Amino acid sequence: MINWTLYKRGIRGSWKMLLIFAAVLTMYFTIIISMFDPALGSALNEFAKAMPELMSVVGMNPASAELVSFLEAYLYGFIMLIFPMIFCILSTNKLIVRHIDRGSMTYLLAAPVRRETVAFTQMKVMATGLFALVFYATVLGIINCEISFPGKLDIGRFILLNIGVLCLQFFIAGICFICACIFNDSKYALGVGAGIPALGFIIQMMANAGKELEKAKYATFFTLFDSDGIIAKESGAIFGMIALFIGALILFSAAIAIFSKKDLHI
Amino acid sequence: MGVCEIQGLTRDYGKGRGVFDLSFSINQGEVFGFLGPNGAGKTTTIRHLMGFLKPQKGRCTIGGKDCWKDRAEIQKNLGYIPGEMVFFDDMTGTQFLSFMTKYRKTKSNGRTKELLERFELDPQSKLKKMSKGMKQKVGIVAAFMHDPEVLILDEPTSGLDQLMQSRFIELLLEEKARGKTILMSSHMFEEVERTCSRVAIIRQGTLAALDNVDALKAAQAKKYVITLENEEAAARFANEGLRVSDVSQNQVTVIVQNNIKELISVMDRYPVINIITPNQSLEEIFMQYYGGENQ
Repeated sequence: MINWTLYKRGIRGSWKMLLIFAAVLTMYFTIIISMFDPALGSALNEFAKAMPELMSVVGMNPASAELVSFLEAYLYGFIMLIFPMIFCILSTNKLIVRHIDRGSMTYLLAAPVRRETVAFTQMKVMATGLFALVFYATVLGIINCEISFPGKLDIGRFILLNIGVLCLQFFIAGICFICACIFNDSKYALGVGAGIPALGFIIQMMANAGKELEKAKYATFFTLFDSDGIIAKESGAIFGMIALFIGALILFSAAIAIFSKKDLHI
Repeated sequence: MGVCEIQGLTRDYGKGRGVFDLSFSINQGEVFGFLGPNGAGKTTTIRHLMGFLKPQKGRCTIGGKDCWKDRAEIQKNLGYIPGEMVFFDDMTGTQFLSFMTKYRKTKSNGRTKELLERFELDPQSKLKKMSKGMKQKVGIVAAFMHDPEVLILDEPTSGLDQLMQSRFIELLLEEKARGKTILMSSHMFEEVERTCSRVAIIRQGTLAALDNVDALKAAQAKKYVITLENEEAAARFANEGLRVSDVSQNQVTVIVQNNIKELISVMDRYPVINIITPNQSLEEIFMQYYGGENQ
């Protein structure tokens, strides 16, 4: 079901992009964690009090003095949503859309390799990249906290939060991937594949901002990722995580089935 | 039953484009020429054979296996040169060939090296920096290196110079002698004439003609443009009872079919300055053969 030659090539083609994303995350994590001040409330909390609307748009609500909820509020409401999401979109483009659009898919299919194997391998490359990115963020967060504030971080809940983000990002990857498999035209493949998660994200931001729009959050799948609930270990939030993961599996299976049955004008 | 069978293949793209109820079969050890103007449906047919497209009606088989359902199985013993060479742009030629060998899970053999030498190709530069001819050579090596039983070649010599074209023809003849079954689409009469035993021409998605090359050659009407010393001589020359298609100033265009001696004897009596045979496209030749240009 997996072609290791193709997998290795995919990984080799992704690591530069991964490195850039890792660098961006390193910068944000380091800066934001340094702003944490357990005694006085962080500088960011001052911002949040001064400009509550603006800060809540990007998911940064005043956090409690606990380090894990501080990280959840300032890193997992915006940065850890948007950057892995961009990674998903770029990866799908590189692994599927461009091959179909340019025609280099020809060589992948003019070989005794099943289409299911090609799609599954590319999916696996993307999942590996995504996992590496979130794993890196987890380690980065833990190390940063342990250096600056030893013993202050509830590592168990922080890891759970990262597993939650991973489920959400797999789901987003599933959307990008299925669009890449449905549409032959790269315009639609990328437009719809990137558009659905982006739109969902914007709705989520609007719902965060305004009380009238608060109900709008139920219109997107982002609502299944309840970061506050996850660190509080609420069963509803855990269920949301599992739902996202199962949703991702369904999207990926459907994408592979569609790719295997579709007409390719290559 | 032939190695490669197409039965009632139909794919309608609308507006008269596509392939309609196309049937033919290719025998073991045969080089089969597949010709037609642009947009006639050659590539569409080939995409069905490759399992990229599912037939709307009809079916294609290679070696008795269904080209859509058993495509991965068929590919084990198939070599393909696409009409347009698109590779992975960040690889060098060497990396690409070794990637394809591993990707296909074929054992590397001496054949790749032999092919590279035959086509004088040094594949060490980046694919995206290669000229069209070099890319074409990489494509040829990739199609033949695993020594497949069946070859599907979509305009395989485009971009190659004369010398490499004839090397390619030699390679095809060798493969034919080894019993390989080859489908080749082409625009070059010489290539088809030298390699193919049978030829099919497709027009507007339907089979316009299917015959062996010898019959085609025998019926081929050749054009000669003869330049005479002056217009007066040209006018007299045109009235000698030869099949004249055009007279302009001191040039006479004559169509000759199997009576070259007659032309020579007439020319002997006239002040001929020059004689040229303009290149005729395959389609032109075919259309002459099948009567009328408006068919």
